[in-house]
Amino acid sequence: MSNSQSPDSSVPVKQKKKRNKTLHSSGLPIPIPMSTLLHSYTPPSVSLRLRPRRSRYLRPLRFQFGRMGNSMVRAQAATEVTEAATSEGLKKGIAEFYDESSGVWESVWGDHMHHGFYEPDTAASLSDHRPAQIRMIEEALSFAGVSDDPMKKPKTIVDVGCGIGGSSRYLAKKYGAQCRGITLSPIQAQRAQELAAAEGLADKVSFQVADALQQPFPDGEFDLVWSMESGEHMPDKMKFVSELARVAAPGATIIIVTWCHRDLSPSEDSLKPDEIALLNKICDAYYLPAWCSASDYVNIAKSLSLENIKTADWSDNVAPFWPAVIRSAFTWQGFTSLLRSGWKTIRGALVMPLMIEGYKKNLIKFAVITCTKPN
Amino acid sequence: MRLLTHNMLSCNIKGVTNGFPLKLEADKWVTKEVDLNADFLRGIFPKIEWSALLAAARVLGFAELPEQADASMLSSDDFLRRFHHALLELHVEEGALVCPETGRKFPINKGIPNMLLHEDEV
Repeated sequence: MSNSQSPDSSVPVKQKKKRNKTLHSSGLPIPIPMSTLLHSYTPPSVSLRLRPRRSRYLRPLRFQFGRMGNSMVRAQAATEVTEAATSEGLKKGIAEFYDESSGVWESVWGDHMHHGFYEPDTAASLSDHRPAQIRMIEEALSFAGVSDDPMKKPKTIVDVGCGIGGSSRYLAKKYGAQCRGITLSPIQAQRAQELAAAEGLADKVSFQVADALQQPFPDGEFDLVWSMESGEHMPDKMKFVSELARVAAPGATIIIVTWCHRDLSPSEDSLKPDEIALLNKICDAYYLPAWCSASDYVNIAKSLSLENIKTADWSDNVAPFWPAVIRSAFTWQGFTSLLRSGWKTIRGALVMPLMIEGYKKNLIKFAVITCTKPN
Repeated sequence: MRLLTHNMLSCNIKGVTNGFPLKLEADKWVTKEVDLNADFLRGIFPKIEWSALLAAARVLGFAELPEQADASMLSSDDFLRRFHHALLELHVEEGALVCPETGRKFPINKGIPNMLLHEDEV
C-alpha cells in the first residue's frame, strides 16, 4: 500500500457541493487553493477502507447495563466477523499513519501529541500551546488525585499509546519513576528512545512496540496506568480497559484522556445519521475504529470492579486546539512538512475542520475518565 | 533494551500460562555507563525477579551476580555495583526475546523489542 498519492489529472475529480470557498464553516479563513482541495479533491483510490461504513455504528459500543434492545445485540454478532478480519489492517494502518506523520507533528508541535488544556473561551497564541499541553497532563493527574508525596507517588508507570514519549518523559521526570511506553509505530518508539537518551532519561524510560490490547507486561506491574489520547484507536474498548486494569497494581491509578462522542440520551439507541456520517469521515482519516461515549467507559470500568470512577467533560478546555493545529498547517513550515510527509498525513490534515465541526455540534467530546484498581 | 525492561516483559500469547521470564537471545549488546543511584536500586530490588535477571545477565557474559539475592545484600557497595551494572548498564541492541512456553521469538531491533502478536496468537 503506498503512503503517498498525488492528484492525477486524468482521474475524474468528484465535484462536491461548493460551500464558501474562502471561509470554512468553522469560521476559519482558508487560502483558496486549500479550500479547493478540501471541497473537490478525491484521491484516486482509498488507501484503507477499514470496514463497510454501515456496520461501524451497527456495532453498539454501549454496553448492556440497563436498557439495550435485542436488535443491537444481533447487529453486534453480525459485525464481529468483519471486525476480526480487519483488526490487523487497523493496527497496520495506525502504525503506518504514525510512522508517516510523527515527524511532521514533532517539527511543528513538539513532543507532546495531545490537546492542550486552556481556559474556556480564550484565544490561544502560538506560544500558549506547549504550556497548555503540559497543563493537560497536570490537570489529568490532579483530577485523578495522583499524589506527589514521596511515599505515595507512582514508582512505575505505563504510557499506553505513548507516541514519541512526551508523557513518558514528563511523568518519569516529575515522579522520578520508571516509565514504559508502548506504541504500534516502530518509528515512534525509536524517536521516543532517542529523545529520552538526549534528555538523560534513558535509564528511566523505555519504549516497546506493542499492542495496547495485548500489553506485554505481567499482571499488576504499574502504579500509574496512563492513556493520553490513545483510546480513540482501540477497536475493542472493553479489552482496552481490561488490559489497563490487568497491568495496574493493587491501589494503582488509571487515567484515560480520550475523544468520545456525546452521551446518548435515554430515548436514543444510537447517534443521528448525520452525526454518524461526520464521525465516519474522521474515523477513516485518523484510523479510528469507532467512537464510544464517556458513559460507556464509566460503565466498562464499573463492570471491571474498578473504584473511584470519575469523569469530566473537558471539551470547552480544548476548543482552541484544532483551530491552532489548522493554522499551524498553513504556516510555511507546516505546509511544506505536510507536502513532504505523505497522503495519510495530508488526509489527516484535511479532516481537521471536521473535528471543529464535531465539537461545535456537541457531538465530539473531550473526556477524562479516572479510576483506581482495588487493593 | 536494558535488563530492567526485560524483567518487566512477558509473553501474552493466548493460552500461554507461563510467559515469564522471556529467554534472552542477544546478537549485539553494549555497555552504557549510568550513574549509580543506591536509593533507586534499593527501591526497585523487591520488584525484580532475580533468577530472570541472573539468566539474562549471563547471556550477556556477566556472571558476577550471586545465585540468590536478598535485601540484606543491598547494604554492600560491591553488590550494588554489580546489581546496577546488570540492571541498567547492559543494553541489548539486536536480538530476541523467546517465549518460554511456545518458543515464539519477539525481535529486538535497535534496542526496541517488538512485542506485537500475530492474528492467530491473540
